[in-house]
Amino acid sequence: MSTNDAGHDRSQLGAYALGALEPDEAREVELHLAGCAECRTEVAELEEMKQFLDEIPPEAFLDGPPADGDLLLQRTLRAAREAAVEPATVAPAASMPPRRSRWLLAAAAAVVVAGALGGGVVIGRQSVDQAVYEETPAGSKQATATDAVTGTTMATTVQPRGSWSWVVVDLKGLKTGAECQLLVTDTSGKTWVAGSWVVSERAARDGARFSGGVLVPPDRVGSVEIRTVQGERVVTTQL
Amino acid sequence: MSEPDRSAEALVRSLYAEHGRSLLAYATRLTGDQTAAEDVVQETLLRAWKHAGDLVEGKGSVRGWLLTVARNIVTDRARARAVRPAEVGEVEDHPPVERDHSDSVVNSMVVLDALDQVTPEHREVLVELYYRGRTVTEAAQELGLPPGTVKSRSYYALRALRSVLGGAGAEVAR
Repeated sequence: MSTNDAGHDRSQLGAYALGALEPDEAREVELHLAGCAECRTEVAELEEMKQFLDEIPPEAFLDGPPADGDLLLQRTLRAAREAAVEPATVAPAASMPPRRSRWLLAAAAAVVVAGALGGGVVIGRQSVDQAVYEETPAGSKQATATDAVTGTTMATTVQPRGSWSWVVVDLKGLKTGAECQLLVTDTSGKTWVAGSWVVSERAARDGARFSGGVLVPPDRVGSVEIRTVQGERVVTTQL
Repeated sequence: MSEPDRSAEALVRSLYAEHGRSLLAYATRLTGDQTAAEDVVQETLLRAWKHAGDLVEGKGSVRGWLLTVARNIVTDRARARAVRPAEVGEVEDHPPVERDHSDSVVNSMVVLDALDQVTPEHREVLVELYYRGRTVTEAAQELGLPPGTVKSRSYYALRALRSVLGGAGAEVAR
C-alpha cells in the first residue's frame, strides 16, 4: 500500500465510499479506480456497509438528556410510580430470590405476577386472565376473557381520562349481524352503556375493536361486558 | 416509597439522562409533534422499566432497543388511528409516520450493536462522516485530528463493521 497516485491508497477509499472527500480528491480516486479492479472491489465492499448504516436513524447518535429540562422526566417518573403500585396489590414480591440489582428485582416480580395470572382462573362460566403488565398508556387497566359458552374472546383496556374512562375492547368470535352493546358496570353496581353496534361480516371474521366513554373514574370500573341488545350475554371482563 | 418505586425511578432517571435526547429527537421527527413525541418517550421509558430484565441481560444495544420501541409505539398509534374512525376523547392529531426506517427496526438494533463493537475512535469518525454528513476536512476540524487520520480511520471503521456484520444481507434478515 502506498500513498502515491499510481498505487492503491486504500486509506482514501473509506472516505470516498462515504462521500466525504473533497471534489478534487474524489476525482483522483475515481481516476485510480478506473484502472484498478482490486480497488473497485474494495470500494464496492465498503459501499455495501452504507446500506447497514442507513438502518440507523441519525438521532441515534445524540447523547444526554433532552435539552429542555426535566419536565418530561418528572412526568414519566409519576407514571412509573403509579404503575409500580399496581403489581404490589396483586401479589407481593416476597417470594423472589434475592439476586441482581434492585430494579431488576422489581421487573422480575412483575414477570412473576403476569406468569401467575397468565394461566387463567376460572370464575363462573369464563376463564379470566388479567395481564397486569400489558403495554398500554400509563394508568390504564387491562383484562382479557374468553366466554366458555359463546367462545367470544375479549381484551379490554380502560384508559383514564381524568374523571371518566375510555374503554377499548378487542373482540374475536362475534356473530355476524349481532346487535351488541358495550356495557360498563361500576363498583357500586350501576351499569352504563358505552356504545352499541351491529357486527359486520368482516368484524366477525377478522375480529374488531370497539370503544366508548363512560362517566366512571377508571378505579371505579368493575366490569366491562358485551351483551346483545336482546339481552344475551356474550362475554365479560372483570377489571 | 416502596422498593419497586425506588428502582423504577432509578432506571427511568438513568435512561433519561443517557438516551433522553436521542429518543425525543427521534420521536419528534417521526410524529412531527412535540407533545406526541413526549408521550412516546414516556411510554418508551415505562416499557423499558417493565422489560428491565431483557434490557440488561440481552447483549444488544440499549439505545437500539429504546429507539425500536419508540418507533413501534409511533407506528402502532398511527395504525390504530388509521383503522378506526375518530373517537371521542382522542383529540390529538398526528401526521402520518415517516416511512424511511419503517421496516428496519430490527436491523437498526443489529447495526447499532455492531457499531458498539467498533472502537470509539472509529465509530466517531463514521458518525461525523456519514450521519452528520461532514467532509473529511470538516470532521478533522471537529474532532481535532489530522485529515489523514480521519481518512484512515473511516477506512478501518468500515472494514471493522464489515467483519462484524458480514457482507450485504449476510446476517440481517429483512
